[in-house]
Amino acid sequence: MENFEFLLHGFQVVFTLENLIATLIGCLLGLIIGAMPGIGSLAGCALLLPLTYRFNPTTAIIMLGGLYYANMFGGSFSAILLNIPGDTPAIMTTLDGYPMATKKKRPGQALLTANFSSFIGGFIGMIILTFTGPALANVGLKFGPVEMTTLLLFAMTSIGWLVGENPTKGLILTLLGMLVASMGMDTLTGSPRYDFGNVYLLGGVPFTPFVIGIVGFSQVILLMEQRNTAPKLVTEKLTLRGSMITKHDVKRLALPAIRGGILGTFVGVLPGAGATAASIMSYSTQKSFKSEEPLGTGAIEGIAASESANNGAAAGAFAPLLALGIPGSGTGAVLLGGLMLWGLNPGPLLFKNSPDFAWGLIASLFIANVLALAVSWGVIPFLIKILSVPTKLLIPIITVVCIVGSYSTSNSMYGVIIMFISGVVGYIMQKFQYSYAPLLLAFVLSPMLESNMRKAFIISRGSVQIFVQKPISLVFLIAIVGIVLFPVVRYFLMRIGVIQPKTAR
Amino acid sequence: MSTASTEKRHFSINQIIPVVSAIIAIVFVWLGLSKYGFWNEQQGPMSGFYPTIIGIGLFLMSIVGFIFSFKDKTPIFPADSWMAVLGALGIIAASFLIGLIPSAGIYVILWLRWYEKLSWKTTLLTFAVIMAIVIGCFVLWLQVPFPRGMILDAIMK
Repeated sequence: MENFEFLLHGFQVVFTLENLIATLIGCLLGLIIGAMPGIGSLAGCALLLPLTYRFNPTTAIIMLGGLYYANMFGGSFSAILLNIPGDTPAIMTTLDGYPMATKKKRPGQALLTANFSSFIGGFIGMIILTFTGPALANVGLKFGPVEMTTLLLFAMTSIGWLVGENPTKGLILTLLGMLVASMGMDTLTGSPRYDFGNVYLLGGVPFTPFVIGIVGFSQVILLMEQRNTAPKLVTEKLTLRGSMITKHDVKRLALPAIRGGILGTFVGVLPGAGATAASIMSYSTQKSFKSEEPLGTGAIEGIAASESANNGAAAGAFAPLLALGIPGSGTGAVLLGGLMLWGLNPGPLLFKNSPDFAWGLIASLFIANVLALAVSWGVIPFLIKILSVPTKLLIPIITVVCIVGSYSTSNSMYGVIIMFISGVVGYIMQKFQYSYAPLLLAFVLSPMLESNMRKAFIISRGSVQIFVQKPISLVFLIAIVGIVLFPVVRYFLMRIGVIQPKTAR
Repeated sequence: MSTASTEKRHFSINQIIPVVSAIIAIVFVWLGLSKYGFWNEQQGPMSGFYPTIIGIGLFLMSIVGFIFSFKDKTPIFPADSWMAVLGALGIIAASFLIGLIPSAGIYVILWLRWYEKLSWKTTLLTFAVIMAIVIGCFVLWLQVPFPRGMILDAIMK
């Protein structure tokens, strides 16, 4: 009950005109960015980061939280109307959303099914977050430098190992991100290091231009490849009245959405798993339950299962982010970086030291959930126009926002140059199938890892045994070994024929 | 004998990232050990401690990545994609001369009208949207002091 009192206090914090407008703007932008294939929540948060500098930290993160959250709603729009997921978590929605829109000629109903399921999944996720967040923070209070070192290593390893198809590439980028973050100043002594005689590098690689480049500008270069392909929409007109779902539809979506929401939330808490994994798992789980129509043929149950899970995961991911300072995804890393820029240190003490902020953010997610549902319903008649915006127009718009945004955060062309270089590097990385999420996560978490690791070694006087002597640390070490060995074991089991390799769909 | 084993391993651009990351790792380890220090008996870990450990890890992973890179498909880098890079580079270069906002404005018009060959109506409408975002959000609201460029600076003097 105590948590509900805190949550009510959070609502009091959020209910200011500025915060409500920030949430609404975040939701609107999130929906639009989510709907447009090829941009995604990560780029959306990165591009919006410079605009939030004007706000106080609570309002700023509320806006970004709203954007991140509404993005999960928006991702389903293009999945249903174009058969292209707006963001990767909506990938499973295409399997039933597009057939429902095309074969069954019910595009509006498919959109509303996705919206309602997202709302249910998100709501479940937020209720669970309200309880698990502070509980996780209480566990985190017991963590010293030794436990924090292994926890951070666990988070980085799992993201590096699980995101993308090739674990080696994930780990290379994780380690590269750590090295880039170590440039500038020593985190403990403040002495300069790896500045290569450059005055600008003394302050290290600035976070916001780096993220805008890696995520935003690299995306612009990638968009050049598809700028001449016109979107093929399933319908020419959508109306609110023609999109209404029936009572029977609501009955069909309710149970899969509730199951997906619960499953998605717990998957979202795990670092590296994220909303995409949650939606895939939920869709697979739905196959073992009864559906009125077979999944993959435009079944409402399929849309509900995947959409509720990805929204549940988006909410669940806030639990380790706020309570332990561990983001579960690239977008989480951008949010964490933003928090640090505003002088807030997410971690076990956040709920104690900054309750207004922590509970205000959780309360804002509830509001964002309601607003995203309302806005996503309201934009249905305009969706065709939004999705018809040619990529040709987006390219110069995003390029200018990247340049102007990175200048504004550093008030120097140094920021623009960092953005430009990291954008080109990010593009090359993506062409070679290197996912940038591990790099971002490592870049953000590296200073914390270094500080804790060095403190742990000072305590142990250089002995590594301390990491196996502490039970919590030992558990994380075993988990790291498990994560690293899992693909290796799976590979050998496939080689000897114990398990069958996955076939392409 | 499998096809893979009979094929010769050819070096290609696939090896670029592991090679570059290995070089970065070597630089960081070398500087960490020689310049910043690894361990001090009294103070414990020094400035080079963490980057050296990470650098060694990166070097080892780069070797693994290098070996696996021969199995990767070689990506294609379309010439068109680099136009976006050139466009951004053009804005950066021109901003030193005429300032950032005019450079961005000229870029938008040149890009849409001459590169994309869109109509004047679409070009000017997009230009107006972008300028509204830049001037409205960044200049008026965030009050960012954008560079005016050498020409305007000289005139103002």
